[in-house]
Amino acid sequence: MKKFFACALALLLAVPFFAGCQSKTGESAVGNGQLNLYTWEGMFPQEVLDGFTEETGIKLNYVNFDTDETMLSKLEAAEGGDYDVIIADDYIIETAISEGLVQKLEKEKIPNFKNINPVYQGQFYDPQDEYTVPYGAGVQTIVYDPARVDLTITGYEDLWDQGLKGEVGIIGSTRVIDGMALKVLGESYNTEDPEKIKAAGEKLLELAPNIRLIKDDNLQDDLISGEVSAAVMYTSQVTTAKLTNPELQVVYPKEGIGFGVMAQFIPAKAPNAEAAYRFIDYILRPEISVQCFEYMGYYCTNKEADSLISEEYREFLTLPEDFQAEDMEMIGNISAEAWDEHMKVWNEFKAACG
Amino acid sequence: MKHMGKKKKWFKGQVLTVLPLYLFTLLFVLGPMIYMVVLSFLTRAETWGILPELTLKNYQDIGEPIYLKTFWESIKLAVVSTLLIVAIGYPFGYFMAKLTGKWKKRVTMLLMIPFWTSSLIRLYGWIIIFRAGGVLDKLLNALHVTEEPLKLLYTYPAVVVGMVYALLPFMIFAVYSSAEKLDFSLVEAARDLGASPWKAFLTVTLKLTLPGLLSGVVLTFVPSMGLFFIADILGGNKVILVGNLIQDQLMKAHNWPFAASLSVILLALTSVMIYLYRKISGVKELEGLV
Repeated sequence: MKKFFACALALLLAVPFFAGCQSKTGESAVGNGQLNLYTWEGMFPQEVLDGFTEETGIKLNYVNFDTDETMLSKLEAAEGGDYDVIIADDYIIETAISEGLVQKLEKEKIPNFKNINPVYQGQFYDPQDEYTVPYGAGVQTIVYDPARVDLTITGYEDLWDQGLKGEVGIIGSTRVIDGMALKVLGESYNTEDPEKIKAAGEKLLELAPNIRLIKDDNLQDDLISGEVSAAVMYTSQVTTAKLTNPELQVVYPKEGIGFGVMAQFIPAKAPNAEAAYRFIDYILRPEISVQCFEYMGYYCTNKEADSLISEEYREFLTLPEDFQAEDMEMIGNISAEAWDEHMKVWNEFKAACG
Repeated sequence: MKHMGKKKKWFKGQVLTVLPLYLFTLLFVLGPMIYMVVLSFLTRAETWGILPELTLKNYQDIGEPIYLKTFWESIKLAVVSTLLIVAIGYPFGYFMAKLTGKWKKRVTMLLMIPFWTSSLIRLYGWIIIFRAGGVLDKLLNALHVTEEPLKLLYTYPAVVVGMVYALLPFMIFAVYSSAEKLDFSLVEAARDLGASPWKAFLTVTLKLTLPGLLSGVVLTFVPSMGLFFIADILGGNKVILVGNLIQDQLMKAHNWPFAASLSVILLALTSVMIYLYRKISGVKELEGLV
């Protein structure tokens, strides 16, 4: 009897293992007419997703990740299978493509491919536009409250002004912030020269006294509540900030704009690539795109949708009239040594802020 | 013979019962630890992943002034927080042990209830208190202590308050469980024999509650080196702890071997703490945990 109990207990304790295995296979098992969409939370308004299922009869299985890194690890583990459409950031897509985890697009299956704004095409992660369809772009801009800032901010350089002591909030993106100093010094975001990165670090140390906080999530709240009076932030945060307080000023830094693109791609062994094509094409329709971009608050990458964006959002979801393509630079992958240098600069900068 | 067989059978049953636990520990505690140690000696790949080439570079990199400084800052913050926690938690736990049974239960309850809420949400509560135009700011303004809005949030003291708040209960319970076992007649005997209250405290009370106090120190010092989200949320990311460094190396620089070597050092520091605790207190288990 005792033995029986021992065995039963042993089995009971082992159950979670098998339960774990089972749910895993359950997740990847795809029936006909199911699309496995893998991206961050909150990337699509529910109506758009429902509309797709209604029109095509394809059921959507929306799976979330928190970070690009998690996505790549999972995609590696699945050897490019399990998922049909993935939306992630540019730099990680470059890595995924180099590992052979992404399949080339058959463009004749995406008639709406022509709607993509060419500004966002041919970038470093996919120079021939063979693998990806952009889905929203983010630009790091300066936003400030003119009521509490005496000077007129026109570029990154103005953030170094002594009048802003303890008044600036920035996002916690190493490359964007180090890049700010690089830009002020007239360098590229993607320089791999350790000396130039070091020089940017020196420059950043002078900015430290002005920094009140560094954070990625909801930085706009601190600008709205008055904790900081100027901030460098992501596009979606700018959108929220502007919608809450229209008095805020958005600045496209005169040193140039750094931007990032989120893009859709089909993994190499997608179980249901046909559904993936239908989804990508559906999302590229201007009237669908416009709903997505207004919902996400990212720059519209669909040229045909630009004119449909409502007045309220147009200012911060479409590029300014006088926009020059050469004013912007994407933040791409850099060598390991360059990264080491960036991390040192970043840590020294953070320590100097404290 | 028959007896032996029974014993053997019983032994088999015991093994079967604990086997899953051992397997679990081996798989999910020891396994990742070995993986981490091995990883810390490997080379990073250019943009993503690792190369199977052995190197000591990751440990050499920790010698960079900025990274040593981070360890130093972490230890400093941990010492400051732990000292404050001792100053508040020791008397609290001690007097809690002296309460009558009914009140003991009530106080325990009051200490436990916040644990039912996520620690993250409780930290956001501190933001409401500290922020410009927040509860504390308004109160001080109304009392005419301050005129200008204060900048309390995103400062070093705010991080210390967060640390003390998050870790205080561990100290209280550790001291409490030690103090409860204390035989007060020993203190009385010391007083009868002519010891001053202060001397009686130092030679009897403190000595007998030392295991609790030290276990509280371990339970607060060790986590405070790694609770990077407190530094993030209340310190505005400007106070960097080893925890932040590891996270940055993993998620931003994709330098997993370096992150692993930092973790190994952190693990070694923690082990030293526990070794010292056992050495000084002569107790094997951490008081207040069991």
